[in-house]
Amino acid sequence: MSSNTVNKLVAIVDDDDSVRGTLKELLRAAGFSSQTFASAEDFLGSGHQKETACLITDIRMPGMSGLELQARLNADHCRIPTIFITAHGDEEMRFQALREGAVEFLPKPFDDEVLVESVRAALER
Amino acid sequence: MVFPRKMKWTAGPTWSAALRYGLAVASVAAALGLASAFTYFHLPQSFGPFALSAIAVTFWYAGTKPGILAALLSSVVRDFLFDPQTSTESRLLYDLVFLVFALLMTQVVRRRNQLELNVAERTAELTRSNDNLKLEIAEHNQAEYLTGQVFECSPDAVIIIGTDYRYKRANPVHERNWGRPAGSMVGMHMTELVGVEFFERKLRPFLDRCFAGENVRFEDWFDNARGHRFLAVSYSPLRFGSQQVEAALVIARDLTEHVLASEALRQAQTDLAHASRMTTMGELTASLAHEVNQPITAAVNGASTCVRWLNRDEPDLAEAREAAAGAIRNAKRAADIINRIRSLLKKGESKRQLADVNELIREMIALLRSETNRYSISVRTELDADLPKIMADPVQVQQIVMNLIMNGIDAMKNVDRARELAIQSRLAEDRQLIISISDTGAGLPQQQKEKIFDAFFTTKPHGIGMGLRISRSIVESHGGRLWAADNSPRGATFSFTLPIPVEAQEYAAQKPSDAHTNV
Repeated sequence: MSSNTVNKLVAIVDDDDSVRGTLKELLRAAGFSSQTFASAEDFLGSGHQKETACLITDIRMPGMSGLELQARLNADHCRIPTIFITAHGDEEMRFQALREGAVEFLPKPFDDEVLVESVRAALER
Repeated sequence: MVFPRKMKWTAGPTWSAALRYGLAVASVAAALGLASAFTYFHLPQSFGPFALSAIAVTFWYAGTKPGILAALLSSVVRDFLFDPQTSTESRLLYDLVFLVFALLMTQVVRRRNQLELNVAERTAELTRSNDNLKLEIAEHNQAEYLTGQVFECSPDAVIIIGTDYRYKRANPVHERNWGRPAGSMVGMHMTELVGVEFFERKLRPFLDRCFAGENVRFEDWFDNARGHRFLAVSYSPLRFGSQQVEAALVIARDLTEHVLASEALRQAQTDLAHASRMTTMGELTASLAHEVNQPITAAVNGASTCVRWLNRDEPDLAEAREAAAGAIRNAKRAADIINRIRSLLKKGESKRQLADVNELIREMIALLRSETNRYSISVRTELDADLPKIMADPVQVQQIVMNLIMNGIDAMKNVDRARELAIQSRLAEDRQLIISISDTGAGLPQQQKEKIFDAFFTTKPHGIGMGLRISRSIVESHGGRLWAADNSPRGATFSFTLPIPVEAQEYAAQKPSDAHTNV
């Protein structure tokens, strides 16, 4: 683990408690600390957008969806490397997400190695 | 003088006056003739007795006035033809005799006439009585006939049973039910037909109440010559004139077809509800799959975490253990959801049990979370924490909640403004629960608040239109109501009530084959 990743913020946005919680634990086991948010609104309201070095978000949520969050951040010129994790993912969605600047688009359940590597890559940018 | 052909030997008034007065003259003449003849043949006889006879005859057959005439004539005849020499005093004496006799005869005739009147009256009375009796007999016969017809033609079994529990009379339907001629059953004890056990346990208690004077009604299953039949029976006490109950009038109506039909209907409704659930669940496949996926993802995360802790140069067993435990929990959650889906898909009989409605609502919301997320619908609940448990079929209650939530989601799918689904449960007065599901969608169609509950009413292009109808029939079978109202400021609210039982009792659905049978 390189030193410049230690204090960089990883944000996890997912409305499902168990996914959120276990993802945080997984990242902790991989050596990353993270903050969790139950909704895109909560994340935006936290004010930590600028400090966030990596965003892991679900797509389908009540209220603002993950894709809408991405669009909002882009509009605010807040380009955060984003990893989408979702149980729903069709080709069109994946294409759109990647075009808008997503680092990765992973189906649930995902391979933990792929996720961890994506996070690492995002933080080392 | 001419006598009429059929002469009546009574009642002088029926004769004409000529006849009557003629008789007076004739009878006196006859008396005179007889007296003269007797004198001619030197037989000792005076005019007196003959005259008196003539007077009597005249009075009797011709009436009072002719009789008086006869008396007068007799007196004159006697005076001038039979005893011209006698002194005036003697004549007067003879006249007096005739007079007195005439007076006596007047009385006699009067009494006779009175008697005849009485007799005529009595006869008239008797004739009337006789006619009345005949009428009564005719009515009685007709009543007998009608009773007989009722007995013979009734589509129900009609039987008369004595206080000795033996058959007195049975009608053709009863014959058919038991496969024996009515005649052979007269005098038979009831146990010979239904068996001792059935009689003692099922019939005798009711029959004894009837013999004590009560009208008794009951329904039960009987095994007779027509098979396993459901009969509605009434026992009515019969008192033939006295205060004592002497027999029971039994009427038994065969309701087997009705009971089986209503059973079949109930079964069809259950099948329809099940088919509807299946259809909805089919529509929800993607959502349900997603719903199951979440805990599985969490379980995979947990297992991956566990492996990472173990793969370290110095494995952290405590962390690994915790991660693994978490993985197990989440895997079980996934299994729960699968089970919940399975129970909704199950076909079984309606099973009512004590159910926590709030829990059922929460489960259904969890199951449908993917759907609400998909359309960015926020779900708000206001569930009364003190809501009592009720007797209900949990699968069916969840079906109603599912249907109403799905309808709410559909209403809000294409709406631009905030999409909120609100679910409320509360206790109402009059011992009922009210569950309301509100949406902020397009709202109810105008003037069609009731029409939406019709079968096959749908606004969806591929909808079948049975959801609300089935939901309503389920609610009503639980003793509740389902209705729709406008939500303010926009959208619709669907509410349904479920009654709270006085006592919580468990009971299973009744089936015909479960009922007791006789011998």
